[in-house]
Amino acid sequence: MASTLFRTIQIHPFLLYPTALFSRRNGVLYCTMKSSQTQTATQEKQQPPKVKVPQHALKKTVDKITRDYEAIIGIETHVQLSTLTKAFCSCPYNYGSQPNTSICPICMGLPGALPVLNSKVIEFAVKLGLALNCKLSLNSKFDRKQYFYPDLPKGYQISQFDIPIATGGYVDLDLPLEFGGGHRKFGITRVHIEEDAGKLLHSGNGDYSQVDLNRAGVPLLEIVSEPDMRTGIEAAEYAAELQRVVRYLGISNGNMQEGSLRCDVNVSIRPVGQSEFGTKVEIKNLNSFSSINRAIDFEISRQALLHSQGQSDQIVQETRLWEEGAQKTVTMRKKEGLSDYRYFPEPDLPEVILTPEYVDSISNSLPELPEAKRRRYEKMGLSMQDVLFLANDMNVAEYFDATLSSGADVKLAANWIMGDIAAYMKNEKLSINDIKLTPQELAELIASIKSGTISGKIGKEILSELLAKGGTVKGLIEEKDLIQIADPVEIGKMIDKVISENPKQLEQYRGGKTKLQGFFAGQVMKLSKGKANPGLLNKILLEKLNGQS
Amino acid sequence: MGSRALLMLTNFNFKATVSSFGSASNPFFLIKNNLRIRNFSTKTRSSLQPPDLPGLAETARISLAPNEVEEFAPKIGQVIDWFGQLQAVDLDNVEPAIRADTEGDNLREDVPQTFENKEALIASVPSYEEPYIKVPKVLNKE
Repeated sequence: MASTLFRTIQIHPFLLYPTALFSRRNGVLYCTMKSSQTQTATQEKQQPPKVKVPQHALKKTVDKITRDYEAIIGIETHVQLSTLTKAFCSCPYNYGSQPNTSICPICMGLPGALPVLNSKVIEFAVKLGLALNCKLSLNSKFDRKQYFYPDLPKGYQISQFDIPIATGGYVDLDLPLEFGGGHRKFGITRVHIEEDAGKLLHSGNGDYSQVDLNRAGVPLLEIVSEPDMRTGIEAAEYAAELQRVVRYLGISNGNMQEGSLRCDVNVSIRPVGQSEFGTKVEIKNLNSFSSINRAIDFEISRQALLHSQGQSDQIVQETRLWEEGAQKTVTMRKKEGLSDYRYFPEPDLPEVILTPEYVDSISNSLPELPEAKRRRYEKMGLSMQDVLFLANDMNVAEYFDATLSSGADVKLAANWIMGDIAAYMKNEKLSINDIKLTPQELAELIASIKSGTISGKIGKEILSELLAKGGTVKGLIEEKDLIQIADPVEIGKMIDKVISENPKQLEQYRGGKTKLQGFFAGQVMKLSKGKANPGLLNKILLEKLNGQS
Repeated sequence: MGSRALLMLTNFNFKATVSSFGSASNPFFLIKNNLRIRNFSTKTRSSLQPPDLPGLAETARISLAPNEVEEFAPKIGQVIDWFGQLQAVDLDNVEPAIRADTEGDNLREDVPQTFENKEALIASVPSYEEPYIKVPKVLNKE
């Protein structure tokens, strides 16, 4: 989950400051971005002057430099749909299957095979288009994007070029609090349907590669954002929100590590106040939200530094790879002009026609989306931190909502879920759907504590049992005789017993050692098997210790 | 619905450097500038561009000797001009169509079906190194 990831980042504050990335190499820093270890043939030809600068001075310099520039960031995201079959044939798709076992003449691109569109793909595309507030094209078509590559069996990819299924939308999100919080709205240029290529593996020893066509033909939705993001964290949160949305909609796992959510980022910078965009650089090989964040911050610094050294012409339109190990971007290939994909309408597929009735029925079936949930939770009075946690995972939100509808108090339910229950889930590596405590019983637990039937401490104790084994709150209270003792007479009796058994401590207390009250309280608690109402206990205890009763 | 291959191209005799499977038809006459969106139905009444044969051959991965370039260029130009007759149509009052046909959806349910004769598929692969298809190493997509 994104919030957990960001909590990890918080522990390493240096990641927020790009300069710290340099400090790893040695104590003295160089102004050049070039790595001495990995020299590739296509690196910059010119050696920028190497200037040795002490660390704190360089950090200030880079911060100052980046402040003079505005970064323009856009993201292209590919979402692999979780349909049962591929886009244009009935082959099943299962991540991790043996290579080349889920194939047929259609997805292999064999002569004579023809594509037939999977109706679920349209349904998922419409769902996403609506969730991203886009305008849907009631009539759209497929096009052939033609290029040659070993993982592309037909020699073309079926995609949508000039008439995508959805255009002109936006996402609303809230930045995590550890990064300053704040609401953002980022535009979505378009969403279109296309098919995935196979997997290409380059063998270690030089001259051949290997292709697995299991993935060829799997449906993808490509989401192109407007260049509205300005920092690494905004970009990472945008990606996290897309993940949330596709998971809420149930159209994809949205898993970056598995490849069901892939992001390519475009970064350019321009001096603050300038209206023309700078040269755009594409970054690939981003496998997590934190990589997106760090790669962008690195790239912004790299470009800003070149600008400030008067070498902005060194920034060329190219594709760079993010190297997770080295924590930097390196050149992959320079883009020589625009690719000629010779797009033309796919003759083998008919138009995609959406009726308003169809769109409405899908619209009515959409679940409450993350943004709507966040705003609703906010209105309930929860803090932003609570809101972001609860709305992040759809299952947690559902659990929370179910607990509330069983009558629980909002704040208390939130605290239990975010505190003890979350800790349990983390420890046992379970999702909230796996725990044995039902939302109804959680509500019951909260109510029991609130009404004074059991004490808070006892509540926490039976929580662990409820989480692991299930059962009912009422049942456990009865079985273990946990009802809180709130009768002052009974408490008084227990206190008298403890005091009479500990005359030495009583004397010490009355002699001035008032801290011993805790000792007496502990003893009474022990005697009552934890059931004494703490407030009442201490009140009566104090009276008795001070000789008032 | 079959693919609409251009039969006239079979008159030409060329050697392919990389044979591409699938219903291949590369109508060279389409406007090469892919950035212009759906312009072909609006005003341009000017004559069509002469074909850039070396460029076309490169993108189609077909090798042509210089004499073949000279020989084919006018022939392909003729094909283009033949289609160019369409330019004479007055399109001022015609809405651009998304596709040439009027049939709608041909959809299928999302139900998995394993293809039965996968062995034959694998057997047809010229260079197979279990469990992968062995291909030459190509690093750049261009």
